[in-house]
Amino acid sequence: MAQNVTNVSQTEEVSSTRRVIAASSVGTLIEWYDFYIFGTLAKIISEQFFPKDNPTAALLATLATFAAGFVVRPFGALFFGRLGDLIGRKYTFLVTLVIMGGSTFAIGLVPGYKTIGFVAPAIVFLLRLLQGLALGGEYGGAATYVAEHSPVGKRGFWTSWIQTTATVGLFLALGIILIIRQTIGVEAFTDWGWRIPFILSAFLVGISIYIRMKMSESPLFAKMKKEGKTSANPLAESFKQKGNLKMVLIALLGATAGQGVVWYTGQFYALSFLQNACNVEFVQSNLIISVALVIGTPFFILFGSLSDKIGRKYIMMAGMLIAVLAYRPIYTIMYSDANLKNKVEVVEKKEVKVKADVKGADSLITTVTIKSFTDGTTFKETVKKKFPIDPVAKAALAKDKMKPETKKEVTLPQDIFYKMIGLVLIQVIFVTMVYGPIAAFLVELFPTRIRYTSMSLPYHIGNGVFGGLVPLISTRLVEATRPAADLPPADPLAGLWYPILIASVSFVIGSLYISNKTNNMDVE
Amino acid sequence: MSAIKRIFGILWALMGVGIIPLVIKQAMKEIAAKPSEENWIFWSIVIVVLMPIIAFSLITFGIFALKGEYDVIE
Repeated sequence: MAQNVTNVSQTEEVSSTRRVIAASSVGTLIEWYDFYIFGTLAKIISEQFFPKDNPTAALLATLATFAAGFVVRPFGALFFGRLGDLIGRKYTFLVTLVIMGGSTFAIGLVPGYKTIGFVAPAIVFLLRLLQGLALGGEYGGAATYVAEHSPVGKRGFWTSWIQTTATVGLFLALGIILIIRQTIGVEAFTDWGWRIPFILSAFLVGISIYIRMKMSESPLFAKMKKEGKTSANPLAESFKQKGNLKMVLIALLGATAGQGVVWYTGQFYALSFLQNACNVEFVQSNLIISVALVIGTPFFILFGSLSDKIGRKYIMMAGMLIAVLAYRPIYTIMYSDANLKNKVEVVEKKEVKVKADVKGADSLITTVTIKSFTDGTTFKETVKKKFPIDPVAKAALAKDKMKPETKKEVTLPQDIFYKMIGLVLIQVIFVTMVYGPIAAFLVELFPTRIRYTSMSLPYHIGNGVFGGLVPLISTRLVEATRPAADLPPADPLAGLWYPILIASVSFVIGSLYISNKTNNMDVE
Repeated sequence: MSAIKRIFGILWALMGVGIIPLVIKQAMKEIAAKPSEENWIFWSIVIVVLMPIIAFSLITFGIFALKGEYDVIE
């Protein structure tokens, strides 16, 4: 009889565990999905809302891309973190979900610049800020909520499910965009189809809200609230008290800064490098990243679980160190394998097609050159050049507007395609090492009364600011090696120095100052 | 180990202080060479957002480390 009661109790506990993890993870996953579709569709959004010939709109485009990523997220962390420590985890991360879902859905409905003019980019900019604010509040809430339900010794495993959501969210965004694009065609997608992933968010958020509404408050927070022990001013307590501030700093410099750059390099920089430095064709480059993400995702759980046994610090530091040492060799191979200079062209297979179109007062000459190589690689170059028919207009046209628009696309053969997946997968594994245990690590650094506030800020500065700046700074570093505007960069791998430097400093600080004894501690 | 943590504290604080003139000097040099909108945006982001975070956190962390606040971390 006693055995039966124990079994029933254990079954209920497992079922409750699954509900907590599912409710938290699904919501966070959808928030990441919402956040990433904007970034992934940045080019189309820019054409729809931020025309290049309007300088204010172009400035808004840059700000929308970066501001929401790194300025607003820490503010969201502070605002919602405070709220979560005052009124509770459950209601706060329900609010962030509604804000995120609502603003994403609204982006999908905003008429373009051509229809309502400057109001369009202004609305999109504001909605993007709301997205960043919501994301800043979501992650800390979900990680805290799950961790406060977790039994001692299993916190790394439980919270690692939350850690999978950012990567799965990215995968979901890439997957949905690819499916819609392939189904309706590139032209229709660019015209109106890009709105579907945004509108779809309302459906996903609706499901998640329904699930989260049924959840109860975190047991630790509920107990603390009942006893009247909640913090009256979580912000002051988190950042004005030396004991907590020093933990916030160690979390930022010794863990989240390094984790942020490794995370962005392994996923976003890898994709950008494939598309821009290696010129790998759009669908193939996205497939390489997507497949690597799918294979790599279970490693979040593996390393989260392993951190319960051998400690968070060792795994995170190992991930940073190996990443620092391996980045340049990995990217050297990636660049070399896609570099046409290392391949032998099958000259007799070369095709050149020229097409002339007259549009209004302009004539457009499109030249498509297709080259094949002995290893199975194909290269397609499309050059579009505009010629005004009227000689007066031609003379008046600025020199830079006469420049041809060139698009280069490399399609890799199967063996190199698989090799690229392997090389990106290695980077995703670094991501899982640094990111899998980090939620449990952050949760264990701070007490329940200020946990939401204290852990959210270093996470979003590390991930959002240090990590979010990887594309901007890395691109800049590569551009600095370009001898002239129309020549290729001398060192296409120069962009890696930023993540290498930040991860190295973070590794030294983390190794020296972080304790590895936190794996089995109780959180109060 | 505590001694090493404290000595490194000096390094972190100095790095935090040193980064301020380094970044500002580089920004002025690059903007003067090419005062494009792109350059202005990039350096504004670095100077307004990234540099203060790095400088403040490294200086404060370094001082804490030097004072022995991180000698024992549980």
